[in-house]
Amino acid sequence: MEITFWILAAITVVGAILAITLRNLVHCVLSLILFFLGIAGHYLLLGADFLGAVQILIYIGAVAVLILFAIMLTRHVTGTEGPREVLGGKWWTGMGTSIIVAGLLWAVIRRDQIAAMLPAGAAKTSIAEIGRVLVGDWVVPFEAMAVLLTAALIGAVVIALEEVMRRR
Amino acid sequence: MNVPLSNYLMLSAFLFAIGLCGALSRKNAIIVLMGIEIMFNAGILNLIAFWHYKLFVAPTAQMFAIFAISIAAAESAVGLALVIAVYRHYKSVDMDEMKSLQG
Repeated sequence: MEITFWILAAITVVGAILAITLRNLVHCVLSLILFFLGIAGHYLLLGADFLGAVQILIYIGAVAVLILFAIMLTRHVTGTEGPREVLGGKWWTGMGTSIIVAGLLWAVIRRDQIAAMLPAGAAKTSIAEIGRVLVGDWVVPFEAMAVLLTAALIGAVVIALEEVMRRR
Repeated sequence: MNVPLSNYLMLSAFLFAIGLCGALSRKNAIIVLMGIEIMFNAGILNLIAFWHYKLFVAPTAQMFAIFAISIAAAESAVGLALVIAVYRHYKSVDMDEMKSLQG
């Protein structure tokens, strides 16, 4: 069990690092898919099988394909610029901030006695229970989410088509 | 499962820092969105790890994770539409060139 965790952790970390450091945008998205797969593996390892399936369906099936389409609709598909042009103007502030955040979180988690000594848990939630709760106790957030997704869909189409509508 | 909770917290803190670095220091707007997705996933992994170690009432963490994933999907759809609109206006997706609102 422990070796599985370390293999999956290596996959996710390598995928995330490659996704933000590679120069070719299509390679970046492929590394991001590797990262999403690693996270789905973590969900399966933790016993959240429904969320593992949802992760693959939504992130790899929808978000990654959406990002690929956005790359194809904008220019510089191969992106063979020099190393200077990949980074933004004040890239050192971003790197410094992320290093400080990582150090702070690491220091806080390392001192936490409860997290280190917590007994193995293995909580269980079956898919049938998730379905029952989703249309029972959680029906109002569920419907609000449906409205939000519809609004986001309409908004995305309106924003992307703005110029075409103005031309007519 | 004998992996302590702190391993998961460490992993997701590290992933969050990687995503933050990508979102703050890259020039391409699409990579910035990808960094935001990495940060989202790190947060949700934290939630599921807490659920596994029974620090949540059973179905609540899964519900939170499902709603967070839906919101992330909606956010990325709107964000990429914005990137396409910005590209149409500036003919580029460089963050450094979007400074019409700069004071």
